[in-house]
Amino acid sequence: MEVILEVNGERHSVVPSGRRLLAVLRDDLELLGTKLACGEGACGACAVLVDGRPVNACLLLAEAAVGHQIVTIEGLSVGRAHAVQEAFVAEDALQCGYCTPGQVVSATALLERTPAPTREQIHEAMAGNLCRCGAYPKIERAILRAAGSA
Amino acid sequence: MSRFVRTRTEMEGRYEDVWALVDESDDTESWAPDAALSLVGRPVPRQDGAARAAGRARFTVDVRLAGTLHAVVLRSPVAHGRVRSLDLDGARAVPGVRAVIGPDSELSLTTRSPLLRGEPGYAGAPVAVVAADTLEAAHAGVLALALDLEVLPHLVDVEEGLREQRFTADPTDEARGDAEVALAAAEVTVELSLETPGQLQTALEPHAAVASWEGERLTIWVSTQGMFAARDELARAFGLRKSDVRVLTEFVGGGFGAKQGAGFEALAAAELSRIAGRPVRLVNDRHGEQLDGGRRAASRQTVRLGASRDGTITAIDADAVIGMGQGGWMPPVLIPARTLYRCADVRALTFPVKTNLRAQNAFRAPGVMEGTTAFEQAIDELALALDMDPLELRRRNHTDIDQVSGSPYSSNQLLACYDRAAELAGWAARGELREPQPDGLLRGMGCASQIWWGGGGPPSHATVRLDSEGHATVMTGIQDIGTGTLTSAQIVAAEELGLPLAHVRALGGDTAPNVYGPIAGGSQTTPSVMPAVRSAAAKVRKTLLQLAGDVFEIAVGDLEVSDGRIRSRDGAIDVEVTEVTAKLGDATIDGSGSRGPNPGGFVVHTFGCQIAQVSVDAALGEVRVERVVAVHDVGRIVNPLTASSQVEGGVLQGVAFALTEELVVDPTTGIPVNAYLDDYKIPTIADTPEIVIDFPGIADENLPTTGTKGLGEPPIIPTAAAIANAFAHATGRRAVALPLTRDRVLEALA
Amino acid sequence: MTTYARPGSVDEALELLLEDGAAVLAGGTDLAGQIDRGISAPGLLVDLQDTGLGGIAPDGKGLRVGAATTLADVAEHTLLAPYAAVTTAARLAASQLLRNQGTVGGNLCQHTRCWYYRGEEWNCWLGGGDTCFAQIGDHRKHNLEEGDCISAHPSDLAPALAVCGATVVVRALHGEREIPLLDLFRRPTADNRSLVTLERGELVVAVRLPAPPDASLYLRTGERQAFSFPLVSVAAARHGTALTVAAAGVANIPRAIDPADPLAGLPGHPQSAWKRQVLETLVERALVTLRT
Ligand SMILES: Cc1cc2nc3c(=O)[nH]c(=O)nc-3n(C[C@@H](O)[C@@H](O)[C@H](O)COP(=O)(O)OP(=O)(O)OC[C@H]3O[C@@H](n4cnc5c(N)ncnc54)[C@H](O)[C@@H]3O)c2cc1C
Ligand code: SF4
Ligand code: FES
Ligand code: FES
Repeated sequence: MEVILEVNGERHSVVPSGRRLLAVLRDDLELLGTKLACGEGACGACAVLVDGRPVNACLLLAEAAVGHQIVTIEGLSVGRAHAVQEAFVAEDALQCGYCTPGQVVSATALLERTPAPTREQIHEAMAGNLCRCGAYPKIERAILRAAGSA
Repeated sequence: MSRFVRTRTEMEGRYEDVWALVDESDDTESWAPDAALSLVGRPVPRQDGAARAAGRARFTVDVRLAGTLHAVVLRSPVAHGRVRSLDLDGARAVPGVRAVIGPDSELSLTTRSPLLRGEPGYAGAPVAVVAADTLEAAHAGVLALALDLEVLPHLVDVEEGLREQRFTADPTDEARGDAEVALAAAEVTVELSLETPGQLQTALEPHAAVASWEGERLTIWVSTQGMFAARDELARAFGLRKSDVRVLTEFVGGGFGAKQGAGFEALAAAELSRIAGRPVRLVNDRHGEQLDGGRRAASRQTVRLGASRDGTITAIDADAVIGMGQGGWMPPVLIPARTLYRCADVRALTFPVKTNLRAQNAFRAPGVMEGTTAFEQAIDELALALDMDPLELRRRNHTDIDQVSGSPYSSNQLLACYDRAAELAGWAARGELREPQPDGLLRGMGCASQIWWGGGGPPSHATVRLDSEGHATVMTGIQDIGTGTLTSAQIVAAEELGLPLAHVRALGGDTAPNVYGPIAGGSQTTPSVMPAVRSAAAKVRKTLLQLAGDVFEIAVGDLEVSDGRIRSRDGAIDVEVTEVTAKLGDATIDGSGSRGPNPGGFVVHTFGCQIAQVSVDAALGEVRVERVVAVHDVGRIVNPLTASSQVEGGVLQGVAFALTEELVVDPTTGIPVNAYLDDYKIPTIADTPEIVIDFPGIADENLPTTGTKGLGEPPIIPTAAAIANAFAHATGRRAVALPLTRDRVLEALA
Repeated sequence: MTTYARPGSVDEALELLLEDGAAVLAGGTDLAGQIDRGISAPGLLVDLQDTGLGGIAPDGKGLRVGAATTLADVAEHTLLAPYAAVTTAARLAASQLLRNQGTVGGNLCQHTRCWYYRGEEWNCWLGGGDTCFAQIGDHRKHNLEEGDCISAHPSDLAPALAVCGATVVVRALHGEREIPLLDLFRRPTADNRSLVTLERGELVVAVRLPAPPDASLYLRTGERQAFSFPLVSVAAARHGTALTVAAAGVANIPRAIDPADPLAGLPGHPQSAWKRQVLETLVERALVTLRT
């Protein structure tokens, strides 16, 4: 059955056939910035914003996302998100870059709600975004830097 | 003029004598240790950082080709079994299924036989692969295979394997002098036993390949650390010319040693694509990746040390029992015991036990990290027995001579690393940590030393091309798996060319240009590739200045280029590079360079020291790493920004090895129980200690032209040992096994 | 093939839930994993998002927390601040990404994380088979009670809600019942391996909290500093001088703990007995804090 998904401000007609939002984003809409790494909510590589809140797209049924505003990394390029991305590059808060889109999504959402987060708040908001390369010290620095510049 | 030289290459401690092609005109002089360099040594953000941060980086899993089939692997659900029935035709009959291969299928690939096994020797072993129009159809095909297995006896317990003498290769006995006699004669002796866990690399991008044939030419994207190794393996397997195989690997989502060469995934994808006549994409799911992606082997080690009262180590006797799984090369677990300190009487016994797990493979500093974890704890026990400061004991047994070969090290700043680490960590005051703490926790501080290879060597090549707009492209054989080595190549080239960074771009991740570089492993890339890049850039600079001399009618020797401008020494000429390059039209200035051999008579190693501070909640069995100070001698630092990232990443994987990571195998069925990301606990941002980093940064004058050594492995090596030593300092106890989970901590403290 | 339905009211949802193979879909953070690992194979997913079950509202002297309220809302909502145990439990559970999606009802009804139960290679007793692989295998993270199944209950919210005196409102087409929070749970038996007392066609619609305790807290131990299921956690509350304590990770289900004898009935198993000391310590620390 066809449904309408609103992704990055555009309406797309897709056929979810029981798939998760992540599969539809990547395979049907070719929005490839959002990554699959565990498929079970354990890593955050698949983070997208749903109505402004970051969630795991690998767990969310595409049909359950109908009627909500979905924003992927591709839709994050202005304002606060841009500051976050610039800070990630400047601080080297990325190594292989595979987890990075998810990190940027979570960090952007954090700063929207908490413009000047403490270290503890950063840890609480970001612990669901694993980085096997271990960019964490610099992710923390990048978020603080983006907070300062926003 | 090119010529062949006979030289020794090294990869993770395995030496090989090879012929390497070097270019005699690669006569670039080494940068003096104190050379005033304008870019090298300054922090530079990655050239591809913006693409990564914006989600524009395309990894193998992101490759989309028209008509691609999706492949799914059927894996053994038992630790050891024999296929009784497997319905390949049933799978082929599933709508959308285009190709199926099983253990008995006729394949066109000729190496690696069999690719699939009818008698799988571990849970997760590939038994069959199905390629179909959609992932869903491929899964349906796998179901239709209706695998029926006879379950055979398995063995996963290393002790049991040792008792039964089930080895993957003959145990080794590496000795010098007579450790037994020396131990008996020693004034002080200590003994320590430790079990270290199996650790999974867990790159977030799993092993993956997308294969596409055009006649007899294969184009294949592979998530690999070694694209040339992958190319050669594929060419051999399918009987192709190397130039007919193109391996692409622009972005790799982590490897940590697990992604060497083509791997099963690329071979299977290429085979299926050949059968189906369509591109095939094979991406491991997480469970498959954790079962079959690889692992640092679990070990059980015993170290006995003898020393005289003044702290001179007189005897080292170490043994290691290694849970190899189905096989693989023997990790050099006892290298630290054999090389870290001066000692004439050493014995090292290694027992590679065969178990029903996947063959162990490289994981960042394979062998040496787990070996250091045991050996450096024994050294601390010795310090305790001698009532000596642990750092002092290490200093006292320092050596500048490789203990195995007797050759001097090309450079060794380990003593300076001790001093700097002690200063940064506040080592002198570490006794205060043992006084009652206001928060009721126990605290302690511990250190450990690091030794690893990391000298690199030939063959390694680079070409540099300068265009009429004054922009240079550096072609390399680098696969930048997150290390930032492409950016280092950019920096080195820009430095040598005298161009601004923004005008230089380094390329890698593609075998088509056939500019060879080593596998991204063993801490080889930087020391191998940077001299080649520098030499290629030097030739371009030379030509550029020659052309400038022609244009301005001035002797070349009076010209120099820096910061994108060509200047004459007398100041009369001071112009943009483009004043000259614009005249090139569509021509370019090209230069190629190669890595010369390491000088004979030396052994190249990296060294370092880490100091960890931990807190322990004794009643809850909880260990926290509060701070790690890491000081590593890796020669000259090209880019301190990405270098510190490498150290942070290594330290964090070491922290997790000490505290949380462990492959748990069910004893009853021999199947790993936590081969997923929810139960296998890699660190989160909240597990990150404060990490304080420094480098002596002194160029290795005996290494060709850039004086850089490798940094991939060193930072993971001493972390767990330093943590375990800090734990012992805090509590007076040692755990018999890592990681220091609550159950083990409570047992140790009971 | 699974079908998806998004009813616009609770009654419509209850109607749909009577269909064969129907399952409640709240945030889906646990259900998705159950489906992917082959633990559940629902034919119909009844999504609660449009049934109006989300939200936190005053309710007499207490509060009513809709079953579809997210953990993030529970952690952050100012009305819940007087129930510190509950907000702390919600804040420390899972990850921010999961808390934004996962709900209160789903948190209470989630299945165990026992690695044999979740593992694709085993079909254990709780999953309908006849062997508890944990008891003959690796049970270092398992519970402290005797039983056919020794899995540990993973819900952070359950013990916290329990000590605050919460009740659960359960609705079926034929009517509603309200039960003490811990009565939502049952130990699995040979003929019924479910961990909850819900009948077919029943739905958790809300959790009701009475007036807040004088003080409450939630203490938790995990496998790493964040984003780990609780190994052992303890919730405690003080109403006047009365202390109530409950724990996760020590029994098949969330368990009430006797503050005077926290280890009663919790002998432990060879590899899980270490949890006894952790439980005892957490209870002791909780009581010290609540008494001062
Ligand atoms: C990686 C990971 C880590 C996690 N960590 C934690 C943790 O640390 N602590 C913790 O407590 N939890 C943790 N969770 C579990 C997490 O799924 C729950 O916390 C979450 O609240 C479940 O809510 P949901 O709405 O997503 O449930 P769903 O997945 O929608 O539902 C879960 C189950 O409950 C049933 N159900 C849902 N709502 C109702 C209802 N109203 N009435 C009747 N039945 C219902 C469903 O049918 C299903 O069987 C973790 C999960 C994952 C994947
Ligand atoms: S503890 Fe329970 S869930 Fe785990 S294997 Fe035993 S029966 Fe199954
Ligand atoms: S891929 Fe979704 S959380 Fe890992
Ligand atoms: S940068 Fe590689 S996983 Fe985070």
